Amino acid sequence: MFLLSPCWSLPAALLPPQPARLSRMKAPESLDLSAAVTARARADAELLGRSAQGDREAFAELYDRFARPLYSTALRITGNPAEAEDVLQDVFLTLWEKARAFEDSRGSAFAWAVTLTRHRAIDRVRQRSRRSELLSEATAEEAGTQPAPAGPDAAGALSASEHADAVRAAVKSLPPEQRRALELAFFDGLTQAEISAALRQPLGTVKARIRRGLIRLREIMGGHHD
Amino acid sequence: MTDELLEEFASLYVMGMLEGLELAAFEAQLARDPALRQRVRELTEAASALAFHAPAAEPPSALRHRILARTAEVTPARPAAPVVAFRMPVWLPWAAAAVFALASGWFAQLYVAARAESAALRDLQAATDFELKSTKHQMEAERIIARQEVATARAGTGELNQALKLAREQAEASAIQLAAAQKLIAARDLQLSLETQRAADLEERAKREADLANFKIATLASLLGNSPQAVAVAVWNPARQEGVLRVEHLPPLTPDHDYQLWLIDPQYPIPVDGGVFTVNPATGDARVQFKADKPVKTVAKFAVSLERKGGVAKAEGPMVLLGP
Repeated sequence: MFLLSPCWSLPAALLPPQPARLSRMKAPESLDLSAAVTARARADAELLGRSAQGDREAFAELYDRFARPLYSTALRITGNPAEAEDVLQDVFLTLWEKARAFEDSRGSAFAWAVTLTRHRAIDRVRQRSRRSELLSEATAEEAGTQPAPAGPDAAGALSASEHADAVRAAVKSLPPEQRRALELAFFDGLTQAEISAALRQPLGTVKARIRRGLIRLREIMGGHHD
Repeated sequence: MTDELLEEFASLYVMGMLEGLELAAFEAQLARDPALRQRVRELTEAASALAFHAPAAEPPSALRHRILARTAEVTPARPAAPVVAFRMPVWLPWAAAAVFALASGWFAQLYVAARAESAALRDLQAATDFELKSTKHQMEAERIIARQEVATARAGTGELNQALKLAREQAEASAIQLAAAQKLIAARDLQLSLETQRAADLEERAKREADLANFKIATLASLLGNSPQAVAVAVWNPARQEGVLRVEHLPPLTPDHDYQLWLIDPQYPIPVDGGVFTVNPATGDARVQFKADKPVKTVAKFAVSLERKGGVAKAEGPMVLLGP
């Protein structure tokens, strides 16, 4: 069963921003992406803060920045455009209603939105009892990605597209076995045991692939490595 | 927990893959470890990058208008009012810390015990699964062997039935051939019998023809002056050593006389006795079957003499017929 990220469920008093306990150093190859991610996160937080004050234009801009990856994620998980639309609407209304509860120190607005989208989409899939179908689909080869059509805001989409391409390239740079394990967990909502069965790998191997894959992504996205 | 184990738990937690006791233990650790919370935050940010890995799709433009229209109907919620601080007793944090420490220790103990039990159950399940798989494989192997044996037995039975059928057909063919042969033999036996009969008939006929060829037929002329018309015909079958004599117009006999037939064979110095006979007193005719009283090889002549009643061994009376 999926839970909301603890960043959003734990009392704020228990979550003061603290430096990581483990020693880390910058990864030279990820400096540009790390800086871009940080800049975008800062801009997203500002837009969400203005939305919390009732600024609908800021919220519209936030929609334009988030809608495509969130809709793609919802569509990838549900496999149904109508359900993906419902999920997207649900997520954005939640962001709008609870924007004032957002705290930048607890995580980025985008990570919050992705977590919401993923949980809502998987809940919908489970509600219509598609678990067995997910299991079979999980073992099938993933279809090739389709080129995205041009967005409504061409000027803003260029920057967003570049950012999306960079992040997508970062995910694709993962070793295939780590990426596959992360896909099964992230998009298909499979448990450890289900991924182990789907990949025909021991449970320990699955756990290790998830851990290494996420750490590698963190290194690329945040410029950290252990 | 070690750093590596914490890292693994944090990764699984971010992906929503922790359950049960593991989830409870990790959340307890998370609540008291700021560094761990920071790590979870970073991993959550990293996981959010996976959203860009989904096949890119553009949401419908109408959805944007619909969502923004809904925002006009809903006002962003205000955050919960800050809790008014109250002055707590000095001892309260220490008491809370002590209770928290005791509870943490108790939960940790429960967690370790549960993990050990879970590991044991997993081992047991793995062993059971292995045993089940082994049994399945063994059953499958036995099933395959049984099927092969049945197939072999069926093939053997089939071959046996085929051989039996062939043998029956051969037996039936042999029976038919035997019946045909028996019919042929019967036909040949019949033919042989007929041929034998025919041969016998031919032999008999040839014999008869040979007998006829060897028959001696002689006409005896009268030597009597008072009965010149008297005549006789004698037929002699040398094979049977018998013959027939027919006489006509011989003079009647007196009671104390008989006529006696004689066969003249050159190998004997005197005629061979052929027997006595009488004639019809009214006509002087007679028909007499006769036999010689000794083997006759060749009959040169026949003769009839008048002798005393009962006949004589050597002709004494007058010769009445002679021929040829």
